[in-house]
Amino acid sequence: MRTIILTLTAAFAATMAFAQGTPTPETLIVQNARLYTMAGADGGLIENADVIVRGGVIVAVGQDLAVPEGARAFDAKGRIVTPGLFAPWSQLGLVEIGLDDESNDSSPDGDYPLSAALDAADAFNPNSTLIPVNRAGGVTRAVAAPTPGSKMFGGLGAIVSLTGSSNSIMREGALQSVAMGYAGAARNGDTRMGAWAEFRDAIEEARAYAANLAGYALRPRMTGLSLNDLEALVPAARGAQPIVVAVNGAADLRMLIKTKARYGLNVIVLGGAEAHVVARELAAAQIPVILNPVFNLPEQFEDLAATQANAARLSAAGVTIGFFDPPSGSHNLRLLPQLAGNAVANGLPYAAALAALTINPARMYGLGDRYGSVEVGKVGDLVVWSGDPLEAASRPDAVFIDGRQTSLVTRQTRLRDRYRDLSRGDLPHAYRGAQ
Amino acid sequence: MSLTFLLRASALAALVGLSACAPQPKDKEAATSEAPRPPSRWASDPFPSTYTPYASGVTVIRGATILTGAGAKIDNGIIVLENGKIAAVGGAGTAIPDGASIIDAKGKFVTPGVIDIHSHLGDYPSPSMASTSDGNEATAPNTAQVWAEHSVWPQDPGFTRALAGGITSLQVLPGSANLFGGRSAILKNVPSRTVQGMKFPGAPYGLKMACGENPKRVYGEKGGPSTRMGNFAGYRAAWIEAAAYKKKWEKYWDEKDAFDKKKDAKPAAGADAAKEPEAPSRDLKLETLAMALNGDIVVNMHCYRGDEMALVIDMAKEFGYKVTTFHHAVEAYKVADLLAENGICAAVWADWWGFKLEAYDTIRENAAFVDAQPNGCTILHSDDQYGIQRLNQEAAKAMADGNRLGLNIAPEEAIKWITLNPAKAMGVGDKSGSLETGKMADVVLWSGDPFSVYAQAEKVFIDGALLYDRSDPKRSPRTDFEIGQTGQGFTGGAGQ
Repeated sequence: MRTIILTLTAAFAATMAFAQGTPTPETLIVQNARLYTMAGADGGLIENADVIVRGGVIVAVGQDLAVPEGARAFDAKGRIVTPGLFAPWSQLGLVEIGLDDESNDSSPDGDYPLSAALDAADAFNPNSTLIPVNRAGGVTRAVAAPTPGSKMFGGLGAIVSLTGSSNSIMREGALQSVAMGYAGAARNGDTRMGAWAEFRDAIEEARAYAANLAGYALRPRMTGLSLNDLEALVPAARGAQPIVVAVNGAADLRMLIKTKARYGLNVIVLGGAEAHVVARELAAAQIPVILNPVFNLPEQFEDLAATQANAARLSAAGVTIGFFDPPSGSHNLRLLPQLAGNAVANGLPYAAALAALTINPARMYGLGDRYGSVEVGKVGDLVVWSGDPLEAASRPDAVFIDGRQTSLVTRQTRLRDRYRDLSRGDLPHAYRGAQ
Repeated sequence: MSLTFLLRASALAALVGLSACAPQPKDKEAATSEAPRPPSRWASDPFPSTYTPYASGVTVIRGATILTGAGAKIDNGIIVLENGKIAAVGGAGTAIPDGASIIDAKGKFVTPGVIDIHSHLGDYPSPSMASTSDGNEATAPNTAQVWAEHSVWPQDPGFTRALAGGITSLQVLPGSANLFGGRSAILKNVPSRTVQGMKFPGAPYGLKMACGENPKRVYGEKGGPSTRMGNFAGYRAAWIEAAAYKKKWEKYWDEKDAFDKKKDAKPAAGADAAKEPEAPSRDLKLETLAMALNGDIVVNMHCYRGDEMALVIDMAKEFGYKVTTFHHAVEAYKVADLLAENGICAAVWADWWGFKLEAYDTIRENAAFVDAQPNGCTILHSDDQYGIQRLNQEAAKAMADGNRLGLNIAPEEAIKWITLNPAKAMGVGDKSGSLETGKMADVVLWSGDPFSVYAQAEKVFIDGALLYDRSDPKRSPRTDFEIGQTGQGFTGGAGQ
């Protein structure tokens, strides 16, 4: 009897593992695509291309490929196909309603003591409605990261897939984040001097902590960081983990370049309104920039040189760029292609704009060998577009993650279908599409 | 300093709103009434517009595709701008006056100047600092006495960026912290030393009101309202007071007229000299509300939820005023029939959602569904200093999502969402919003199809004057705040 129960339990566990998305060796072939592989700086365009994905991994890319036995075929009918979009910054899975504390875990309130130790992986909600909405917009992978509360460090971000499954966290502790510039000054005595002093101190404290765990507790220290925070900061302080640094002004960017060199850090700029002013230095220091390409107003004195030419100038100087859009935030990662289109209208080469949506974010976070382009050995994330992906009028017609076609039905499409006909029916609207 | 990390104070304010027709081709008028009214005794103009058009010759744009904003699309068209007005619009055979300067625009597009019905430029300017945050008089739930024009900083660089996005007119509204936020300012997007130099000549005032979460959030711990029912009690109490104030003044005017009439007539022998009636004392708050009740001021209501819009419609009927436009109107699609029946426009974003619970039910087809109603009136608005630079793209997205459902919205119809419909809803549709003979020559020449993400406004004419030219730095304004700053070396004024 005991044996039977154990066997049943094992069988149940196996079934659950399968239901939760353990890769199955199913095979997909996407045919007749106008394929931007993103292999190479020119976008790697292949006309009439086929892509074969087996067990979630791309196994062949080319023209006139033989259809593998038992493969599911999807005819792109000449439409543009790109890698799945990779959002380099978001609070996906941490926020449902921005202004409601009850449904927003992206940032601690008030004087809550922890900062760098906060871990997005602890709170990530794969059932968030933001995930299908953005997936239907072609986003297949994203950074999900906390944002700083009253302290300068935001905590640990994760890289996630947008499958909505319980195992969608691909990498925990993928990054640390920190508010610098105006935002950092606001958290450190209302002065940039305070922000930089505190930042250096945090790095040094974390290293001291790592060097002598036992002896550290008695050491007097300046930072307000708890031991948990210091422990969480160790990989970033050693340069083993990217630090996403929110900073805009040219002077702060120069300080960041110096600080990176001094400590051997791995930093990514978030914001970078004036980054084009120091584009060559950033390129030489191999610092990527995640920017809002339509940011063109002097919102603060650190943004006076903000311009829509930022993306084009950074790209021309050899800086790796990605995009984010603070006003739309995590809810509308689906608008990243529109931002990219605006960057193109302001001088960014088309292929560079596509790269900023796909391969560049993957590379920034050290995942360029697995994600961001359509090449053999990479994951089978593909988007079939109704038109030019950067056009305001284009939408994904199909989205594949790990070689599986995902649903484009969202809470929004269900509401649309419910209210398309406003006439009084036999029953109230609440009965329409309720199942 | 605030603790804003990435979302700037102004952007957040805009998001929170604290800063702050049938599916077949159609030939319909937007719902707003344009019937001329007799001059109102309530009208007063203590801060009159000093705007006069800038110099312009006779300009002809030929060869472009013209979307007139009045429902027509003219391929290879000709438009003539003369004396600041549209002198002619038509096909390739349209007569070109002698001596006109001719712009060859083959492959390009011409539309009316873009109009944003919901902006906070000037009131929440850049730089966005505590010292410049002038958009919400969040000191009491009813501040109908404040006027947005008294906060507008004409040197806000946002005006110049909007100009480079084709914006020729806009409504600057007070924020939505309050049940009654105050009067709006309707401006021409012309750089000026004074706000009076931007005021749209002859435009009526608007009144800003707000539904739902904002007032209760702001006043919940400051004496109320703290609930939606508290919001409605606040509106209704104010309307009751305003109606009494209105009656008091109307009674006075009647008595004064009778007195003046008597005075002019020969006094009857032996009759006592009638005493001149005394004017009631003015109350700025009640004056604005009374003018709204009288139809002199256009009512703009910030409202996200459909069920709240339905309640507001009934309240307007109770007090006999008209809501012209529901702003933000994320759930307009749930009550699109009700809005159309009552002749109310919905001013919406294409796809913003989720920043608060009342904005949770956004659908991408909202604008198209409102438009699909018989007499439906859709407006795309920005409420944002970046969105205002790309209202054409908002319209493009909304049109595309409607068309993906088979609604067959033509570009010549969708262009109305950012031109004629807002013009009518702001009460300036008789003067602007479409390319029709005799209207103001507010015109944008686009590098390509304005519904493309790649299109840019190449030239922007306001009352016939070329005030922005992407290829000519001398026709690109730079504000006082920006002049001499670092940014100047890297950028091109309005086209930054």
